[in-house]
Amino acid sequence: MPRLGPTGMLRWAWRQLTSMKTALQLLLLLAVAAVPGSLFPQRPANPAVVTQYIQDNPGLGPWLDRFQLFDVYSSLWFSAIYLLLFVSLIGCVIPRAVQHWKALRSQPPRTPRRLSRLPEYGTMTVAADTDLTPGRAIEDAANVLRRRGYRVQLRDTGTDLPSVAAERGYLKEAGNLVFHTAMIGVLVSIAVGGMLGYRAQKLIIEGEGFTNAELGYDSFFPGTNFNPGALVPFSLTLNDFDVTFDRNPASYGNPIDFTADMTVQDSPSDTPRQETLRVNEPIGFGGTNVYLIGNGYAPEITVRDGEGNIALQGPVASLPTDATYNSTIVIKAPDARPDQLGFVGFFLPTAMVDEDGVAFGSDPDPYNPQLNLNSYTGDLGLDDGNAVSVYQLDTTELTQLNGRDMPDGGIVLGAYQTYELPDGKGSITFEGLKRYVALDIVYDPGKAGALVFTTLALFGLIITLTTARRRVWIRAGQHEDGRTMVEYGLLARGEDHSLAKEAIRIGSALTAHWNKANDQNRQATP
Amino acid sequence: MMKLSLLSRRQAAAAAVLASLLISGCAVEDPLAEKVNAGTNSYVAGDGSVAEYAAEIRGDTVRFSGQLFDGTTAANDDWAGQVTVLNVWYAACAPCRVEAPDLSALHAEFEPQGVKFYGINTRDEAPTAAAFERSFGIEYPSFKDKNGQILLALTDYVPPQAVPTTLVLDKEGRVAARILGIAEKSTLKAIIEDALAAPGPEKP
Repeated sequence: MPRLGPTGMLRWAWRQLTSMKTALQLLLLLAVAAVPGSLFPQRPANPAVVTQYIQDNPGLGPWLDRFQLFDVYSSLWFSAIYLLLFVSLIGCVIPRAVQHWKALRSQPPRTPRRLSRLPEYGTMTVAADTDLTPGRAIEDAANVLRRRGYRVQLRDTGTDLPSVAAERGYLKEAGNLVFHTAMIGVLVSIAVGGMLGYRAQKLIIEGEGFTNAELGYDSFFPGTNFNPGALVPFSLTLNDFDVTFDRNPASYGNPIDFTADMTVQDSPSDTPRQETLRVNEPIGFGGTNVYLIGNGYAPEITVRDGEGNIALQGPVASLPTDATYNSTIVIKAPDARPDQLGFVGFFLPTAMVDEDGVAFGSDPDPYNPQLNLNSYTGDLGLDDGNAVSVYQLDTTELTQLNGRDMPDGGIVLGAYQTYELPDGKGSITFEGLKRYVALDIVYDPGKAGALVFTTLALFGLIITLTTARRRVWIRAGQHEDGRTMVEYGLLARGEDHSLAKEAIRIGSALTAHWNKANDQNRQATP
Repeated sequence: MMKLSLLSRRQAAAAAVLASLLISGCAVEDPLAEKVNAGTNSYVAGDGSVAEYAAEIRGDTVRFSGQLFDGTTAANDDWAGQVTVLNVWYAACAPCRVEAPDLSALHAEFEPQGVKFYGINTRDEAPTAAAFERSFGIEYPSFKDKNGQILLALTDYVPPQAVPTTLVLDKEGRVAARILGIAEKSTLKAIIEDALAAPGPEKP
């Protein structure tokens, strides 16, 4: 076996990488590599869940983390596949484009000596009395082929055996190249979106508003090259949020429609306008789209402290845990004095009591809203400066005041009711109820490009699949008895199931042409 | 329906998949992102970084107005010519609670010299904000900015990118310094003193 040498090895590797087969395998590999992204919690989606997962799986968790399985889509190995695919596509497209460019400018190949060896072959004879010389016959044949979309070249016109060589279907390769180039375009567009765009979440309670500034978000995930100047200064206010639930017995309680009635402003100087935000009907602000992705209830709470002052007042968002909107809620009153107060429990839109005396929610609409809370006192853990989620309260260091197992029982609050905490620690009042919406705000500057290139790719693919690349040669000669003999052969490039049909069509087109010519001759010479 | 939409978002995420790829290839260390990744934050927190702007490169005079918790409307034009300290906060913000005593002390120290302190509260209702002010003895007023209008106005100058953010405006109302995250007392004090020492705008 001959040694390749370093240059040879590189050339070999490059050819392997840029082969179509490798590109397809890489594409497949990319799809497979994306699978762990849906098996394990992902940091970009929810970092808290990942932290929890690692805590719960102290053995496996750190190892998964080491292999970046919590950041699949930005992991080294995933990037490697992606970049290789990228290189492979480019390395495949450029040489093919050059080759195609040359093919476009070159003439159809020379006429084979024996047309009968071609996959499709046919002959015909034209009677001697038609005055059709072989030269004329070839010119006619060339015209017929030209009309059928072939590029033609006459060969050996001065000789006894003139022929025409024809080729069609250059669009097939062009479509193929468009497809591959567009695929690169799609990848680039998505990358541009990922680098310059951002994704953010915001929860807005009825009657409240939001302005598009980094600080206003609950969570914010900028692209690596995100420029804060790209934040469009829109603002929106949630006037009202409606959920319609199905009241048919068969599908009772299923949500039918979510409508968020909003007042929006494209910028502080624009006049406010009314918009309705629905699921899958985002509101757009010049490239930034606001999607409705969730909703829930925000009970309005007032917490009074042991000194009789209001320590907390306002709506507190609860997180729905099921389709009936039974929700968990955490209320923190860090400014209650003399001791901070915290509450953890459930919000039930329509509370019922089962035979064991346990409250459960039976309807997603608020027919009998109820708060079921445990209460705690002590250091809520906010004063040492470490940020904690507003939806979590670590109760391990706190003193419990209320709970099902406590002497004072748990707190059960119906609408407008107040509960006095034990030991004069204060009180909590359920003042009212609002709904909130969770919004996903997405700025993806690569989206338009992705759409254009996807369309182009589809277009190219259709052209490629519907265009057949064929070569036809026709040769004419004169028989000793004066008849003109015409033979033709067809060759397909690649698989072509309709080559035989094309052969028949060309044959009949030629016959029709010469019959017509004969008729005209006859009319001319009565 | 909500679940459906989540699915379609997931598909979008699948597209974002490819997006994040190139990103990681050339990712730089991003302390903010790391904090977010740590999973303990549900909001954007600052890292305590201080940016001071030399007088020559300071931007335009900041202009904003808004409603204070006591219901009155205030605009920073009202106290033009004074050094101003603006602090973005809300009651349940842990780092805000750490820096609050220092801000209160600095306010007591510099108020006699004409320095104006204003809070910009991004999340609370008035009684909650009042409870916080009671806890930490805050005597300066705060804007109620739940809808972010003031933040938006400030974005044109120096965006407050985190809670807390502390801005110091010079006598001409230009941003002289920005502290993202907990404002260290001596640092903030030095910045205020610098701004006080600088000559004010020439009176016409």
